[in-house]
Amino acid sequence: MRSEHVSFRAGPQIDMALLLCVVAISTVGVLNLYSATSVYIGVKAVVADNYVSQIYWIVVGTLFGILFAAIDYRFFERIALFAYAGGLVSLGLVFVLARNIRGAARWIPIGSFQFQPSEFMKILVILVVAKFIHNDPKTEPRTLVDLALPLLAALIPAALVAKQPDFGTAMIYLLTTLSVLAMTRIRRKSLAWLAVVLGVSTPFVWKYILKPYQKNRILSFLDPEQHKTADAFQAIQSKIAIGNGGLTGEGFMQGTQNQFGYLPDQFSDFPFAVFAEEQGFVGCVVLLGLYCFLCVWAVHIASQAKDRFGAAIAVGVGAMLFWHVIFNLGMVLGLLPVVGVTLPLFSYGGSSIVTTMIGLGLLMNVSMRR
Amino acid sequence: MDLLVQRSDVGEFRRRYHWMALFVISTFAVLVGRLTQLQIFEGEVHRQEARNNVVHERKLATTRGVIRDAYGRVLAANRPSYNVYVVPIAVDIDQVWPRAAQFMGLDAAEEAALRDKILALRAEIGEAKVKRAQSDPKRALALERLCNPDSDDSDVDPDNPAPAPTQPGACRQILLKSDVDRDAVGALETHSGELTGIVLVPKAVRYYPYGELGAHLIGYMREVDADMLRRLSDKEKYGAGDRIGATGIERRWESYLKGSRGWRKVVLQRGGHEIDEQRAARYLDEPRRLEPIPGRDISLTVDIELVKSMHDAIRPYKSGAVAAVDVRTGRILGLMSSPGFDPNVLSGGAGMKAAKEAFQRLFSDHLMLPLLDKTMSATYPPGSTYKPFTALAALANALDPGMEVDCHGGLRYGKRWFGCLGVHGHVNLHQALIQSCNTYFYTLGMNLNIDQLARVSMDFGFGVKTGVGANPEARGRAPTHAWLMRRYGGQFVQGFTINAAIGQGETEVTVLQLALAYAALANGGTLYQPQVVRSIETSDGTVVQEFPPRVRRVLELDHDHLTLVKSALAGVVNDKHGTAHRALLPGLDVAGKTGTAQVAVQRRGMTDAEYEWRHTAHAWFAGYSPVGSPEMAIVALIEHGGGGGTIAAPVAMKVIHDWQALKEKRLSATVPASDSGRAAP
Repeated sequence: MRSEHVSFRAGPQIDMALLLCVVAISTVGVLNLYSATSVYIGVKAVVADNYVSQIYWIVVGTLFGILFAAIDYRFFERIALFAYAGGLVSLGLVFVLARNIRGAARWIPIGSFQFQPSEFMKILVILVVAKFIHNDPKTEPRTLVDLALPLLAALIPAALVAKQPDFGTAMIYLLTTLSVLAMTRIRRKSLAWLAVVLGVSTPFVWKYILKPYQKNRILSFLDPEQHKTADAFQAIQSKIAIGNGGLTGEGFMQGTQNQFGYLPDQFSDFPFAVFAEEQGFVGCVVLLGLYCFLCVWAVHIASQAKDRFGAAIAVGVGAMLFWHVIFNLGMVLGLLPVVGVTLPLFSYGGSSIVTTMIGLGLLMNVSMRR
Repeated sequence: MDLLVQRSDVGEFRRRYHWMALFVISTFAVLVGRLTQLQIFEGEVHRQEARNNVVHERKLATTRGVIRDAYGRVLAANRPSYNVYVVPIAVDIDQVWPRAAQFMGLDAAEEAALRDKILALRAEIGEAKVKRAQSDPKRALALERLCNPDSDDSDVDPDNPAPAPTQPGACRQILLKSDVDRDAVGALETHSGELTGIVLVPKAVRYYPYGELGAHLIGYMREVDADMLRRLSDKEKYGAGDRIGATGIERRWESYLKGSRGWRKVVLQRGGHEIDEQRAARYLDEPRRLEPIPGRDISLTVDIELVKSMHDAIRPYKSGAVAAVDVRTGRILGLMSSPGFDPNVLSGGAGMKAAKEAFQRLFSDHLMLPLLDKTMSATYPPGSTYKPFTALAALANALDPGMEVDCHGGLRYGKRWFGCLGVHGHVNLHQALIQSCNTYFYTLGMNLNIDQLARVSMDFGFGVKTGVGANPEARGRAPTHAWLMRRYGGQFVQGFTINAAIGQGETEVTVLQLALAYAALANGGTLYQPQVVRSIETSDGTVVQEFPPRVRRVLELDHDHLTLVKSALAGVVNDKHGTAHRALLPGLDVAGKTGTAQVAVQRRGMTDAEYEWRHTAHAWFAGYSPVGSPEMAIVALIEHGGGGGTIAAPVAMKVIHDWQALKEKRLSATVPASDSGRAAP
């Protein structure tokens, strides 16, 4: 009996909770995009075809996700460094080949597609940091020198994307890496040093690294009255939209802020404002519950993982999703400055969807092989 | 499986998972807390902000009341007019523009100038944006609609314009032509499908069918500018660019004529395009609409045909005024001031440029003062037309009407010589009035207290505003002892009274005052408040208010004195020695008095032509008709025209003649109607 049971558990088994959660969020995301991209021309609402391409991207992303779930994740441990190197090269290529869209050079044109290497780099950073942790077991607490290598692995691509300029993605690299490293035991003294280094570098980052528009975003967040920029307009209007939702919302495709043009970037960075206006507090709590479950579930998968590599991947993917959600919602809810970070499975964009799906595929991978 | 990688120890991580999960959950709890704040606690506030974004009030234009004359003829009304705008971003400069220019009948120079203007604005917007807009006809049309603030019955609220367009500058439009003619409107409407970027905007324009006739009385319209807006007491009713009555009835009765604007709530997209009503309904609170109330119509007491007669009679002369009032009611039958102006032009009916030019021309004419209403806003020395009132004052002061004065062509009083226009020999009161003998009236003046004369004058309404309620009134002056003492530093001489006795010196009257005073003479001593508005009606013709005649004062006149003066006034016209006898037209029954009022001018600083004009006497005739049971009192003034009997009296006679003809025409028009009524079984 017992041996039979063990052998039955040994085969890969699909994590239904994870699957259902992802299907639910994706479905709501596409519907929300449908509403977000409908605009009035004349007297009729015209829906742009963004939602159709979003569905295509979800299909493509799912195929990638299945691929990344099917191959045993330990395979990725072996190719992590090569892939990471390749990722760095393509990030470099952005500066050579990229088309400039809205003041930021992030995309490499491949045929008729716009390929955004910085998105995929998120997965590669997770893999390379996981590999490091996997290969460096320690019983005593770690020092800063021990953590220098994985931090460098995040800092190099972060510096490259910050130069594009894409400060949001750079932060995702760093925070995801730090989240993974947070699993390890670190010497108290080293943590203190880390805090000091961060504290000291802040003014330098402000003075030499941040671009004027980024400074403006932060200033306008701190004091919206004094800095009436376009960003401040977005932040104010998104707050109004969310509040307008009230308890039960204006109803699908009925939100005035969205339908009548008061939510710029409603399908890329502010889809949650559209959702909150139309579905209200009730809808928002359900959606936040799904995202929260996803993140906690990733931690759960990590805790069940058989090895350090799997656990690190699970935490890494979970952290990546978590920080995306927190930064995006923090911005939309007016708790954080405007940072161009997408809301996973909600925001429009192929690279983002495919990256998220690959991450979820890896999560499924770890979950199936615990 | 284990071939790929060696399993590594996960023990190091074990203690962290719970903390991580806790961190995740508490962070999400913060987000939910924020949502609670925004959606539950502040939900109503943000709902209101969201509504404020999209819900706007569009003002609904009202129609200004119509002004009619006593017989229902329209004197001021509204006519539709169309302004043509071009939306540079939406117009195709090679295909559409030349056709539009052709439809509007622009000549080559105008066309080129406007084309340059369009191209300049397009360069400002950016040629790339223009190209993108025009690549798709639907997009161009949408832009045209978006840019057109006034595509339906509403007019844009200037205080609260639609929210700024998302592309500033892209939506600007250029006025091509205002008030385009009917053919052009037709052509533009027929081809509107092919003329993307050309916009027709309807706008009501005040229209005065009789043009210059009665223009001073009716008035004209002007645009409310920012400066005026600040001064207006009921500013909430006006916006910059609105029209407001500038003078005359249009101004004085503005609050009745104007009507009140309505509004309707609309949902606007960001950028200003309106969402259709069905879709917008769920975002709008009740009430969603307030209907505009059209202005009240006003019926005047004036007969425009009579005004036309006055206009024709006065046409040979440069400047003057005629007033006719109903002796029995004080209602004004006609007012005419010359030279005049075309209120259509001044009200902008021929375009703002034409209006501006007309104003410049009219205001710069300091000699003729065409904008001045000479019937009530200006005063003149009345001259001999004043003599009946001197006579009444003297009779009240125990003058024997049989007393005779020997006229040698003037009279010496103290060191001064007071001249007469003729040598009349022995004249009594009757003859003195008929022949207008100054010497006789000088003699009366020598024995009269100036305050007695002033008392009688003021009883007849001189020196006091009549309260007609049209244009600003001049007060005029019946000088009193006190006033003259003040004016001349305490030096009163009897010469003042002697001059006042013949309506000269400091005595000044308005044409309207004189007409009302003669009406009071004619009707036996009832001084009426002049009325120019007979009734106020709603736009569907229901009478809201009627104005019955109002008596200002009933004078206590001695019947014998009045009879004496009136018979002399009849003699002025009908006696062969009368000063107006030669002006009498056959078939007329008129009494009256001529006047030739001297004017004292300083020659210094004047051109010869101006001096020639200014030093000539004013020609007056004041009278009434018919003599037995007077109906109409009339005053004609030819400014610096010369002799009253030769210049002014014929003008008055012609008007009286036309008035009789009009009366007969109206009678004959009504009689057959009553005949046929009687003939019916």
